[in-house]
Amino acid sequence: MFFWKKNKNENQNGELDQSYWAYVKRQFKKNKRALYSLYLVIFLAFIALFADFIANDKPLLCSYQGKVSSPVLRSYAVDMGLMKWQEGFLNIQFSELEYDWAMWPPIPYRNTTLDAYNSRFKSPFGEQRVESWRWRHHLGTNKLGNDVLACMIHGTRIAFLVGIISMGIATIIGVFLGSIAGFFGDDQLKVSRGRIIINILFLPLALFYGFISRSYILGDAAGVGFGVFILQLLLSLFLFILVLVIANGLAYLLKFIPFLKKKIDVPLDLIITRFIEIVVSVPVLVLILAIVAVFKPSIFLVMAVIGAVRWTGIARFIRAELLRVRNLEYIEAAHALGFPKFRTMMKHAIPNSLSPVFISIAFGIAAAILIESFLSFLGLGIPKELNTWGQLLTQSRSAPEAWWLAIFPGFAIFITVTLFNLIGEGLTDAIDPRLKQ
Amino acid sequence: MFQYIIKRILIFFPTLFAISLVIYALSILAPGDPVANMLTTAQGGEGNQSDKIAGEEAYMEMREKLNLHLPTFYFSFSTSAQSDTLYKIQKLSHQETLSRLAYDSGNWDNVSAYYHALRNFENKIYQFKPDSASMAPHTNIRNNVGQVYFFPEDAKIKNFISKIDKQFEKSDSLKQVIGADFENVKTAYASLRSETSTWKNYIPAIHWYGTNNRYHKWITRFICFDFGISYQDQLEISSKIGDRIFWTMLISILSIILTYIIAVPLGVFSAINKGNTSDNVTSTILFILYSLPNFWIATLLINYLCNPEYLQWFPSFGVGSDLVEGKSFFQALMIRGWHIILPLICWTYGSLAFLSRQMRGGMLGVLRQDYIRTARAKGLDENKVIWKHAFRNSLLPVITLFANVFPLMISGSIVIEMIFTLPGMGKMLVDAMIYQDFPVVFTVVMMVAVLTMIGYLIADILYAFVDPRITYSSKK
Repeated sequence: MFFWKKNKNENQNGELDQSYWAYVKRQFKKNKRALYSLYLVIFLAFIALFADFIANDKPLLCSYQGKVSSPVLRSYAVDMGLMKWQEGFLNIQFSELEYDWAMWPPIPYRNTTLDAYNSRFKSPFGEQRVESWRWRHHLGTNKLGNDVLACMIHGTRIAFLVGIISMGIATIIGVFLGSIAGFFGDDQLKVSRGRIIINILFLPLALFYGFISRSYILGDAAGVGFGVFILQLLLSLFLFILVLVIANGLAYLLKFIPFLKKKIDVPLDLIITRFIEIVVSVPVLVLILAIVAVFKPSIFLVMAVIGAVRWTGIARFIRAELLRVRNLEYIEAAHALGFPKFRTMMKHAIPNSLSPVFISIAFGIAAAILIESFLSFLGLGIPKELNTWGQLLTQSRSAPEAWWLAIFPGFAIFITVTLFNLIGEGLTDAIDPRLKQ
Repeated sequence: MFQYIIKRILIFFPTLFAISLVIYALSILAPGDPVANMLTTAQGGEGNQSDKIAGEEAYMEMREKLNLHLPTFYFSFSTSAQSDTLYKIQKLSHQETLSRLAYDSGNWDNVSAYYHALRNFENKIYQFKPDSASMAPHTNIRNNVGQVYFFPEDAKIKNFISKIDKQFEKSDSLKQVIGADFENVKTAYASLRSETSTWKNYIPAIHWYGTNNRYHKWITRFICFDFGISYQDQLEISSKIGDRIFWTMLISILSIILTYIIAVPLGVFSAINKGNTSDNVTSTILFILYSLPNFWIATLLINYLCNPEYLQWFPSFGVGSDLVEGKSFFQALMIRGWHIILPLICWTYGSLAFLSRQMRGGMLGVLRQDYIRTARAKGLDENKVIWKHAFRNSLLPVITLFANVFPLMISGSIVIEMIFTLPGMGKMLVDAMIYQDFPVVFTVVMMVAVLTMIGYLIADILYAFVDPRITYSSKK
């Protein structure tokens, strides 16, 4: 695809690659601040990805009653429902077992581990009731005895998860809507009247068979489990699309009526820009607060809501870019060769206009992480037992003497947000050379 | 120009409509039965018929007060197995159960018959005057009969029926008087399960209710500033907001003024000295301020500057309302200022950094323009070039950034007011969320949405006024 194909900045002849993407990359690398920010973010992403192996209350590898096993890996399988815990490992405290030998993670606690001996805000430098230095709480504990360092590491995972998945959702919506608005404009998509009418008529029907008549099935599935729910949701989507496909099949029959056969322009750009204007004027944060107040706390909900309201920047960027690109020669060439418009858009137009989107994504991730920690801080929307950065920070309000609860999580939020903002700035400079000079 | 403004205003209304729909949908999805939340008295607690009737009447009254006796929206779009008069069923929990039963059986008439038989049986139970022999089974039935409304599952209802049957066996007098009513329930339930027509779940049905619906009442009252009553204390929401809005507005306005006074010269200064050490320092500081989460700074300030154990330089909560009584105006001003200064700082620095960065960027953009080079080339004084030619042109977009600053303020107010316990709208919103006081939540959200939209509207119109190019493009 477009971004790993051009990994090398030089082509076979040893000349500098003159493609737009390679140019952006070179410009970005010139900005040392942004480049090091990127490296640091990759480092943090590494922590987020391997949080379970860095801070966990289960041994990485252990020998218990003569059997060697890896409880950390096993816990993944158990969480997914593929395996069950072995005899003797069910409902126990891993730290209290007598192992033949055990290899513990660098931090032998999780964000949910309660250390009853070290509850009530044990300072990082103060006295702690631990067996050895290996078991010390290096950043102290909170009121319930959660290890702050472990919470920080798992908090990285939650912050990155929220930032990346919510912006992933936003990118999908934004690129899709922005590109059809920009590429087709107001006069490029011609559809027969019959097709428009039949689609409008069948849309409620598709909604009905996809979702309304299946609402209890979906609800029951949500009660059974996440996987079953997703399966039913996909089935619903399939039915929804099926009805629309049938509708478009019927539209072929309407071709024989002259009035309905006449093709008219669909003002896609107008519709989508109006829609963007509506979404932009929604006060995002307050709306998110209202939504998380109504539903049960869940990080997936937070991600989905952030993604559903933060796509407008991406859509605007890509629309503006495609409005420019669609008049370039190579698009005209593709038209002249008779390729379908949709294929031209997907294969040629979008890959060449994606780079500004990355600016929006970088700033968007920073904003999403800030929203997540803000919600955690308020105690809304994020499950309480996760001990995210924001939740640790809010715990410090009832105990000012626990400075480690105020300093470290706040600093983590600040650093992460700053790094993503710096990357965003670097990308802006690299992509828009006019601002440089 | 005029055309542009009209177009802009016309867009305002569908936007408002869309937002009101989203918020209304949320208010319907909100968990719990609002009427039950409002009524603190337990219904039928003593088990007397009069208590039960009184409880139900209070329920009905509150239900009408909250407009819950009306259909949800202008129309309904559901399966034909569902009834279009479901909203007339008194309790929300009953509605849910019946809707599920209707889905399972596909036959609303039978569900309705079952429900009425059940209601009739319940009434008969309450009317029955037990003697000593039938006392125990009667009490037992009376305490259990209410549960059946809550579960639609076949097994649970059958279990319920067999339980009641057992109680009837214990007392003949009970069976003679109300046994027949229970038989009705049983036959109604049996026919509900046997005469199914689940195919109705695949037939769409649309019902039109007209303007006599909850949404219509809510939005028309909202436009007239009648926001309804709070679940928490049953006060008028408009009066609650009236009490709270002063401090939020005061600090917001002070903050906006402060932001513009500091940010604009700072941005210009930075842009003029681009590349100098002073610019680098200010830019870095501003960048850090821009990324510093204000809830962290606010927490640090209140933990370590308002705490007797560390430094108690500032008061830790409130706006000093009980301290100003009997003080002279100047002293009162000092006390108020002392309370407000930290919140104001936390409230302001983020938008300050944002605005001065924008100002710097705008100014740099203008300074690169050809007409600035021309002005310099013709030998104009540098001060004149900057303040007369560049500054005025770079100021225009910054003025309109007001629209972006405004929502920032509101979201700032939520957390700052919470941390510093200021009696403002933001704190009210968070409190209402924690107590699940949804009318207050949705009113505040709706108000913020409207104010934000008005902010954008004003900014757009302002922009059209100050930048003639906008007008040109709309005429074209």
